Amino acid sequence: MDSNKQDKGLNSPMQRREFLRKCGTILAGGSLATLGGVLGSRAKAGSGDTMWQIDPELCIRCGRCQTECVLPVSAVKCFHANQVCGYCDLCGGYYRANVKELNTAAENMLCPTGAITRKFIEEPYFEYTINEDLCNGCGKCVNGCSSFGNGSLFLQIQQELCLNCNECSISKVCVSNAIQRVPVSSAYKLKDKA
Amino acid sequence: MNTFLIARFPKPDFTSGYQYPEIIHGLPYETFWSWMDVAVLVIMLSIAAWAVHKRRSRGVLFTESIISVLYFGFFRSGCVCSVGSIQNVVLALNDSSYNLPLAVLLLFLIPLVFALFFGRVFCAGVCPMGALQEIVNVRNFRLSRAVTNALGFIPWIYLAFAIMYAATRSQFIICRFDPFIGIFRMGGDIGMIVFGVILLLLSVFIGRPFCQFLCPYGALLGLVSRVSVRKVEVTSKECINCTLCHNACPVDAIRPPHANRPEETRMTGVKRILLYFVMLPLLTIGGALLLQSRSEVLTGANKDVRLMRMLNEYDAAPDEGMTPEVEAFYEMGRSIDELTERVDATMLSFRHWSLIAGGMIGLALGCRLIRLSLKRTRKTYEIEPAACVACGKCFNYCPQNKSKIKYEPQNL
Repeated sequence: MDSNKQDKGLNSPMQRREFLRKCGTILAGGSLATLGGVLGSRAKAGSGDTMWQIDPELCIRCGRCQTECVLPVSAVKCFHANQVCGYCDLCGGYYRANVKELNTAAENMLCPTGAITRKFIEEPYFEYTINEDLCNGCGKCVNGCSSFGNGSLFLQIQQELCLNCNECSISKVCVSNAIQRVPVSSAYKLKDKA
Repeated sequence: MNTFLIARFPKPDFTSGYQYPEIIHGLPYETFWSWMDVAVLVIMLSIAAWAVHKRRSRGVLFTESIISVLYFGFFRSGCVCSVGSIQNVVLALNDSSYNLPLAVLLLFLIPLVFALFFGRVFCAGVCPMGALQEIVNVRNFRLSRAVTNALGFIPWIYLAFAIMYAATRSQFIICRFDPFIGIFRMGGDIGMIVFGVILLLLSVFIGRPFCQFLCPYGALLGLVSRVSVRKVEVTSKECINCTLCHNACPVDAIRPPHANRPEETRMTGVKRILLYFVMLPLLTIGGALLLQSRSEVLTGANKDVRLMRMLNEYDAAPDEGMTPEVEAFYEMGRSIDELTERVDATMLSFRHWSLIAGGMIGLALGCRLIRLSLKRTRKTYEIEPAACVACGKCFNYCPQNKSKIKYEPQNL
């Protein structure tokens, strides 16, 4: 008898609670579906995945790419646009400024890690190549090339190394807002291929 | 001025038949892997839901935890994750020019949909951050209810701030203050790695401190799982009130019977709830206005605003020298008018969003007060769905899950 009474007493609020809970379920499900629908339709219209790229037009080689990347050695590397290069002997990206003799003595070299090599092609042209494994993205050579040469060296994010962080930690401190998300379909922002 | 393709030297006229080298740059593999992540997520969530609701097996969940830490954590380096995707979704909602990848939208929605049906199975062993804490957890020292309730409010504050900063395009604070990403990547910001290690050491003795007291996505999942279709249950059989599950729960989600039976008269309780209902709009409005009044300070997280302040500082004292940002500003030949326009727009959007975020915090606080003063009568041990991370620790402790013989509780 006693337990019967208790059950009756509990019965009505339980049903009310159950009803409220069902309303909540429908509300939550509805709002999730709406959110998914609104954003899903928009996402379909867009071109999908994005990746981080440096806009070489905006980059001013401040040097933060070398230190701010979450990787121990930055995913930002120096790229070389051969189509733009002047193939000079006295290369502003290869030699330090005011170099006395054009030889590969260590004191003449601009790159701190020795990542730039050159090959004699024909008088007076030299072909320059970047060894990405050695490059740390400091941008010293880019600065030299942009100041004295054609600007064929530039910094770019190497996609094989980039972790594609949700928010690129270099972009947070990039002084010229040069690091932006670009659609994967537009791939690399290069200097020789517009 | 900036130097972009300045032809100081003409294009060389090679006579030796030299060909320009074909340089192939490493291709982004993200498109494939982001879909792989979604697929793995769905499979792992399905297995977790089965393990929690049908099989009641902690073993399966623990194995999933290890897989998740290895795959989502160490192999995929933790980006982009469901927790961080809140910010992408908010940004996409607020700014239609932001291109939200479909995979990121799915990473955000799928765990919530699973929570709507099965409770927080995402936390159980799919989220690498929860899994990492779960693996190192040895024993649980129970914090007092009051402490848990107070600290458990932090995720809502965190969520409100994350939404505000993401919507104003200022920062992704959830990503910036992610304590475990440094551990997964074995490198990164040293301060956050130290914080992550401290959290991990804590989680040896306290169940999942990050999930309980920090995770903003957990707050959302908890909200949805309150109304989930199926609730996580310790046993499919009858509860015998042995308290073993309650003692085993690392997040203190199992409520004992009659533990919060009202000691006061019914009227006092009703009055209190009525008071809280009256306070709810006041708290919401109060929170909104309070945070908005501080929006000037909050804007400091925005890059444009910081640059504007640096420029002002430089104008005030040019002898101090230029910061790299100021130098870049002048070198790029940007105009102060354009920047002022951007800063004004940012300030305005901060005024809006601090209002929303403050209101959200106030509303959440009011709702929490109401919930805490709702007195319920329970006859058996029950899982509170919002707090339960479905880790499955209780399953093995419940004697009802072990015995094949049905236990008949004696009616004394």
